[in-house]
Order: sequence, then C-alpha cells, then structure tokens
Amino acid sequence: MDKDLDGRFERVERALERMVESLAKNHPSEKLAEELVAADTALTEGLKLLERHQNNYARIQALRQETAQLDTQLKDLISSAYNMRKELKAVPVTAIPPNSKYDFTTAQLLDYARRISRNTLPPPGVTNGVDLAPTPAATQPEPDDAFPVQSQSQSQSQSQTQTQTPTTSFNLSSNGAGTPQQPPTSQTTTTTTTTATALPPHLKTTLNPLHNAAFYPWPTESQIRSGALAAVQRLAERGIDPQGYDPEAEAARRRAEEAALKEAEERARAEREAAERRMREERERMARERARARQAEAQAGGGGVAARRAPKQFTFLGGDDDDEEEDED
Amino acid sequence: MASGPMSVDSSALDPPALPETADGPKHGGFSRFELELELVQSLANPQYLNYLASRKFLTNPAFVAYLDYLQYWTRPPYLKFITYPAATIKILELLQEEKFREEIISPDLAQGLMVEGMKDAVEWHREG
Repeated sequence: MDKDLDGRFERVERALERMVESLAKNHPSEKLAEELVAADTALTEGLKLLERHQNNYARIQALRQETAQLDTQLKDLISSAYNMRKELKAVPVTAIPPNSKYDFTTAQLLDYARRISRNTLPPPGVTNGVDLAPTPAATQPEPDDAFPVQSQSQSQSQSQTQTQTPTTSFNLSSNGAGTPQQPPTSQTTTTTTTTATALPPHLKTTLNPLHNAAFYPWPTESQIRSGALAAVQRLAERGIDPQGYDPEAEAARRRAEEAALKEAEERARAEREAAERRMREERERMARERARARQAEAQAGGGGVAARRAPKQFTFLGGDDDDEEEDED
Repeated sequence: MASGPMSVDSSALDPPALPETADGPKHGGFSRFELELELVQSLANPQYLNYLASRKFLTNPAFVAYLDYLQYWTRPPYLKFITYPAATIKILELLQEEKFREEIISPDLAQGLMVEGMKDAVEWHREG
C-alpha cells in the first residue's frame, strides 16, 4: 500500500517537476499538463484507497477485539458451567432404591392423607407472612381451572362475569373443608368491600383467631417438650433408669398396694366386730341361762304365775334384761 | 437421646416392632417404636437440630450411626406413621451428609431452614 502510494506521489512530483521545468523554459506543453492532472487524479484515488484501507484496518482491529472479548466471555461461560456442574454434583440427591415401589390401597392413601393434612396444610388464612395475594397473571387462569369447558367455549369477558360467582363459592366451600385458598377469598373480600356488610380491616384482624398465627411443618418446641422423649429425660433426671420402668405400671402397683392395705384394715375391722358380736351373744346367752335358773327357782316357789308366763318367754326375757342390768349395776 | 450412654452398638439394632404387635420392653412407659417415631419427627425442627448440634450430638460417631439406623422410617411399613412427611424425610436425608451435620450448628442456617420451610409449607399448594 505504502509503495503504491509512494509511486503515485513520485509520479505527481515528476510530472510537476517536468511541468515547472517546461514552464521555466517558457515552453509549456499540453501533454505535460495532462500528465500532471492524471498523476494528481491517481494520487487522489490512492489517498481514497488509503482511507478505505485504514478504515478496513480499524474494522479488523475492532473485530479482533470483539472476538477476543467473546472468547473470554465464552471461556467464562464454560468455566461457570463447569463450576455449576461441579456444584450440582456435590448436591446430595435423593437416592431412590431400584425397587422402591410399594403396594397400597386407595383407602390407605386417603387415610394417610387425612392424618397428615393437619401438619402439611396451614389452616385457612395462615400465610406465614408470605404474600399470597394473586398477581394478575395468576388470577387469570383461575376460572379456566375451575370450569375448563365453560371458559374455553365462551368469550373471555363472558366467562369472566359468569364464572365469577361459582368460582368463589367453590373456593369458599373448599375453605370450609379445611383447605386454605386464601387468594380467592381475599379477592372476593376486596371486591365486596364497597358493600355495607364488609368489616373494617382493623376489626377483621381482631376477630380472626388465626391472625398472625404461624404454621410449622414440623413438631414445635412445646410439642417436643411435652413428648415421650422429654418424659424419659425427666425420669432420668430424677435418677430413675427408664429402661423397663413404666410410670403407669408403677402407679398401678402403688394402687394395688393401697388396695391391699385397705383390705387388710377392713378385715381387721370385721374381725373386731365379729369378736364383739360373739361377746355380746355370749353375754346374752349367760343372761338367758341365769334367767332360766331364776325361773326354775320361781317355779319351785309359786308355780302358778311362772306356768302362765312361760310361753311368753321373750317378754319375760326383756323384763329379765332389766333385771340383769340392775344386777350388773 | 435420652436412653442411657450411647454406644456404636445402636446401629446394629433392628427396627422396633410395629405398635400392633409391640409388646416389648418399655422405656419410661413408652415403646422403642414410640420414642423413635417421636425423635425422627422432632429432628425435622431446625431449632431442635441446632440444639443437638450445639450439644455436639451430631459429631458423635455413635449418634451418626444412630441417624443411619433411623433411616428405616423412610421405608414401609414405618413410613406411614410419619405425620410430618416432607420435613422429616428431607432432614433425615440431609443428616446423612457430614457437611450438613457440621453446618447446622450455625443459627443462621437453622433460621434459614425455618424461614424456607415455613414459606414452602404455604406455597407448595398454591399452584396446584
């Protein structure tokens, strides 16, 4: 390029020299002038070419820079992909054993679902601080989900107005069944706040017992503290070896001991009473014997009265008791 | 673990008998089945895990062997007794990783697990 340009310059210079010479000799020649013009045109062309050359060169440089930049970018991407892969490989994955299929019946599944629902689904309205307000994009497909045929067959505006009520009632009924569908509920309340039946927001939070309640998908600390492990720990702290120790059996044993003690007392009391009764009977018997002896004595004296009174022994006995008491006194 | 001094022998145990047939020895009035079911679910509580870590349980080889043994809860017929399934199974799985056992001593990680867990508990049924 430089050589080419140098040649053109030389040609212009030579043409100019010759022109000047001829002019100095006062002998201008048209041919020389034409040559000078041609040389000048050639130089201009050469300069234009140079300009293009320079532009192209700059462009090549820029492109080179760009490729270098893209290369580094690519390298970065590849290395980050490599790192990502390494990280992914390091993440522990759930190892699913090859024959991990277990048989179960629908009834068992439903039973299990019922049992765990208390711990896996928060009660209605409990959001743990997560904003569950539906985004416009999320609410749009809701009628589709509930009534796919209807909303697809009808125009959007129609389905919007027609399915509004059924959708909310559907969600409300499922709310009653224990599934918290907070987004639709809040949606309905916001749409009905204009009516007079809506509660002011500060009352709504006060009246809701679950307001600000949190839902934990694991046993809480108080549950752990009141559990079996804690009970065993308390036993250990009291110095009792929990192995083979059963508080209930212990309590039953204590109860049995108490019952045995009570029974023994009862028996002793019964024996005492029996002894007393025996003594009383003995006394009565002796009294009767004495009375009989007295009767015999009386018969020996005035038999008439005694013979008449003999059949009425009980009244006689009663009268005699008094006598006996008197005797004892 | 409240039952006695820990030894590595615990890993050699078979899973306890199911409650329908359980008639074995009792610990403080509870069967081994009851105690282990309660423990494995308590482990799902990040705060409890953090507490165990701070008491150096999670670095005790015997306890690690016990954690390995506790994995029988992830299989029938025991699986169906877990009433906090998601958190229990995941934590039990994580507890098999030494890195997790070491890092759960950080209150930040425990707090993060709690926040994430509570968020997931609300969000998992959002779309479905």
